[in-house]
Amino acid sequence: MDKLLRDKKAIIIFITPALLLFTVVLFIPICQSVYYSFCEYKGLTAPKFIGLTNYRNMLKDKSLVYALKNSLFFLIFSCLTQLVIGLLLAGLLTNIEKGRNLFKNIIYLPCVLSSTALGLLWMFIFSPKLGVNQLLAKFGMEGPKWLMDTSGFIILPMWVIAFVALWQYVGQSMMLYMAQISGISKSLYEASYIDGCSKVKSFIHITLPLIRPMVATAMSLNAIGSLKFFDLIFNMTEGGPNHRTEVLATHLYTQGFKFNKYGYASAIGVILIVLCLAVTAFINKVVKTENYEM
Amino acid sequence: MKNSKTKSTIIKVMIYVFLTLVAIIYLAPLLWVFMVSFKTNAEIFTSPFALPESFYLDNFIFAWTAGKLGIATLNSFIVCGVTLVLSMLIGSMAAFAIGRLRWKLAGPCMTFFMIGMMIPVHCVMIPLFTRFAKIGLSNSLIGLVLPYLTFSLPVTIFIMTGFFKSMPNELIESACIDGASIYGIFFKIALPLSKTGLFVTGLMTFVANWNELLLAMVLISDDTKKTLPVSLSKFVGPYNTNYSQMFAAIIIAIIPTIIVYCIFSNQIVDGLTAGAVKG
Repeated sequence: MDKLLRDKKAIIIFITPALLLFTVVLFIPICQSVYYSFCEYKGLTAPKFIGLTNYRNMLKDKSLVYALKNSLFFLIFSCLTQLVIGLLLAGLLTNIEKGRNLFKNIIYLPCVLSSTALGLLWMFIFSPKLGVNQLLAKFGMEGPKWLMDTSGFIILPMWVIAFVALWQYVGQSMMLYMAQISGISKSLYEASYIDGCSKVKSFIHITLPLIRPMVATAMSLNAIGSLKFFDLIFNMTEGGPNHRTEVLATHLYTQGFKFNKYGYASAIGVILIVLCLAVTAFINKVVKTENYEM
Repeated sequence: MKNSKTKSTIIKVMIYVFLTLVAIIYLAPLLWVFMVSFKTNAEIFTSPFALPESFYLDNFIFAWTAGKLGIATLNSFIVCGVTLVLSMLIGSMAAFAIGRLRWKLAGPCMTFFMIGMMIPVHCVMIPLFTRFAKIGLSNSLIGLVLPYLTFSLPVTIFIMTGFFKSMPNELIESACIDGASIYGIFFKIALPLSKTGLFVTGLMTFVANWNELLLAMVLISDDTKKTLPVSLSKFVGPYNTNYSQMFAAIIIAIIPTIIVYCIFSNQIVDGLTAGAVKG
């Protein structure tokens, strides 16, 4: 049997297709992308090496500053709210018997739907004359221009988009926490009730410490997801008004494929990769400190 | 004792009220769009929250034909279907090599694949776009399948490796004694025993690619080859003023998923969660 499992020819046949695809479609393009980020490249002529100029230009690019600010806002907002609301929903749902599956499935539903369709749907709901504002008008109120307002440090459209993203993806975090909570042994809770713990107290002292590894997983998923975030913004505001709701991904798309500045867009891509790696490393270091035996 | 019982009942009721409110926030937007998609454009502004006066189906017909959503749905099916089959096959082959076969580089190979999970697709878009334009793969569905397939592989390989590693040795030993070849073992023993894993990875792959917008938008510009999210995003845009048609288009895009979800919701939710837990 050992001979069979060490068969060189079989190993090569099994691993080659995946390895080849990975190298050609992922690994080489990443290296190219890093190289392009040091080049002036507009598509028609060959890339020309210009050193750090693309990165220096970033400092002067006002839209990029908005994009970076919005991306970071988004990252922090979604990590925190998904953690709090995801945990709250998971905690409540594990405590009820009837209708648990129904509520769970309803909240998870948007996770499998196309974020393009949902983005468009919410765009209409928050558009000036439809949806929410029609509802407010029924009560004699005049709603704000949800997706156009530009006052404040974090402008109203960003809050609206962040809310929609939370609405769409909180089911994912909730399910991850629920899966982890249902793995905690019942005897721990029984012991705590005998000691006179209330349900809230046992949640804080038993559940929270035990699901810490899952918090790290869910948070890194959220973090990478919010840095990659594109579909909702592209369909709700297209980065407007006046580039104020631009995030890194939409800015990369606009610069690369509307203005054909491939070099500059690649530089944004490099920033995005670095951020992804840094944030994941940070979360895993800070949150995943100890592992308890379950 | 009685007092604490009423207290816990009150808390239970409050939990249910809260969850019902949450459920309303989730369902109301979808129901509203579904309702107004049957209305005429004027009705949306005069009576937005009433039931539609008559079921006006022209919106759907227009969106399906003029919005090219019909052909887009077909394209999405082709791309996602091909990607699904290939990623399950290629992914589990690689996973089998890493998890079961014995060679020195299995560990480093796994690390190489796992890096792929961290890489956002945005970062490889520009090189892919320029390369594909040169070799004639832009504007073709094959050009879309290649990156979709590649980005589905890490999760597939990760989950399937777990399944193959946990498979009992005795099964493979006995197959060996019966004279099965390594390929026979893979197709007749390893794959059928990992059906759960195949289901989970297949589901994740299909859902992710069915909803993918950015790459499809970049790589495909020909109207007849666009996938569903791209056509939808183009049809429902600032230049269209017929709201009810746009609502109908949104409904067309999400209704198949909703129907499938309603039938298999428990399996889908558990499957995707299992995938995310392991990934």
